[in-house]
Amino acid sequence: MGNTAPNLTRRALLAALGAHGLILGPGVITGGSRVLAAANPILKRPIPTSGQRIPVIGMGSWITFNVGDDVSLRDQRVKVLQAFFDRGGGLIDSSPMYGSSEEVIGYCLKRITNKNALFSATKVWTLSRWMGVRQMNDSFKLWGVNQFDLMQIHNLLDWETHLETLKEWRAQGRVRYIGITTSHGSRHEELARIMASEPIDFVQFTYNVLDREAERRLLPLAAERGLAVIVNRPFRRGALFGRFEGHPLPAWAGEFDCANWAQFFLKFIVSHPAVTCAIPATSRVDHMQENMGAAYGPLPDAHMRKRMIQYVDSL
Amino acid sequence: MLPFTPEVFFSLFAQYNATIWPMQIVAYVLGLLAVFLTLRPRRDAGRLIAAILSGFWLWIGIVYHIMFFATINFAAPVFGVVFIVQGLLLAWTGVMKGQLEFRFRGDLSGWIGLGFAVFAMAAYPLLGLFAGHVWPRAPIFGVAPCPTTIFTLGLLLLSARRVPLSLLAIPVLWSLVGGSASWLLGVPEDIALPVAGIAGLGMAIWKNRRMPRAEAG
Repeated sequence: MGNTAPNLTRRALLAALGAHGLILGPGVITGGSRVLAAANPILKRPIPTSGQRIPVIGMGSWITFNVGDDVSLRDQRVKVLQAFFDRGGGLIDSSPMYGSSEEVIGYCLKRITNKNALFSATKVWTLSRWMGVRQMNDSFKLWGVNQFDLMQIHNLLDWETHLETLKEWRAQGRVRYIGITTSHGSRHEELARIMASEPIDFVQFTYNVLDREAERRLLPLAAERGLAVIVNRPFRRGALFGRFEGHPLPAWAGEFDCANWAQFFLKFIVSHPAVTCAIPATSRVDHMQENMGAAYGPLPDAHMRKRMIQYVDSL
Repeated sequence: MLPFTPEVFFSLFAQYNATIWPMQIVAYVLGLLAVFLTLRPRRDAGRLIAAILSGFWLWIGIVYHIMFFATINFAAPVFGVVFIVQGLLLAWTGVMKGQLEFRFRGDLSGWIGLGFAVFAMAAYPLLGLFAGHVWPRAPIFGVAPCPTTIFTLGLLLLSARRVPLSLLAIPVLWSLVGGSASWLLGVPEDIALPVAGIAGLGMAIWKNRRMPRAEAG
């Protein structure tokens, strides 16, 4: 487990934030300030390969949207997704591995009106080109979309094969961006090799206030290579709440508009200059409201991020 | 970590039970017939009991695992294939080759085998009731994997010959897989599953060692 990035100096942070378009004008960061003020109503970061800006908080769907055919549970998820879009959300991430999640997302999208900001992201998770093509074609039907914004190779499974397909599909416009994912800190070496050598747009891996291994290599490499970063398991699958919820939020969390632990964890992640978007998952509207709150207001600066780490380490 | 919540798991059972009704009644009638035939053996009873067990495993593999459970669990098709293999093994060994014979004897393995069968059909649903798993949001004997596995372990212990370990392997394996999932899902009635698997395997080995080769068939 790493500490804060050793090279993340204030100057580097300023440069990176400027490169990522988070700083919109002079005076946003002041010398004595502990926070970075954001000018936009919702914080967005650009996808480096295109410049398209997406909200810093997205939505994951592992477990939470895998509700099968139960209509009452599906309708409840419609409300969750509605709250996501109402609060300015955009990126929804799923996978064929997540049971019925893709189908349920498609069900929800048909029942939601204000989904113009949708940034559809799913994955291919199988062996062989034939199976991959078939699985991705199924995903189009399940989501009810004609084009995916992002198609990722799940957990590097048969990635050489699928990457060739995805390059073709990106050229044809069937998908707009392509990426590769891993989780729980596994296979970082292989992921780094792909990031360094392949023409991908996105990379997805685990990063949170306790699991900071990505700060050592993956996050700097993504910034260097101009790759958008999606962060999964921002709450360590909910374990962070179990560990810290009994403790009070520090008073200084209010300096960056942090009202609850969810926002504390999320703002820590998206304040890293190399992160494009974090994807917390929830099945509750009130939790969605809390999560989306992290996409507004100022973010902690490098000094404050160190303080956040010291605080959670002290508990 | 499982890819679904307990709420979704029991919702799936509600849909499954509603869809296949009244197969649950058929399963109980067949289960009672199988137990009766171990107590009052008659000609070709072994083939009939093997056919009943085979039918349970094939049904659960195809209908429960592949057609229903696979909608929420990516591992379910694999489970389905494993259950189908067990169903085919039972059909080949017991029905086609007629190598299975079941008979209750008042010895330790007999009482444990009968106890497993009665537990699967009667105590299992009662424990489920106490845990709040009421119809149709409950796993039912004969059409759901866990009680059927306990029942199968029980009948195999009632084998009149040496217990064929090749037929015990998959039920024991499932008792460990299903038992660990039950812990995560909060299904207290399934805590009996790994107990039955381990105890059944131990009892089968003990019985086979004591049984003279002449009775081994």
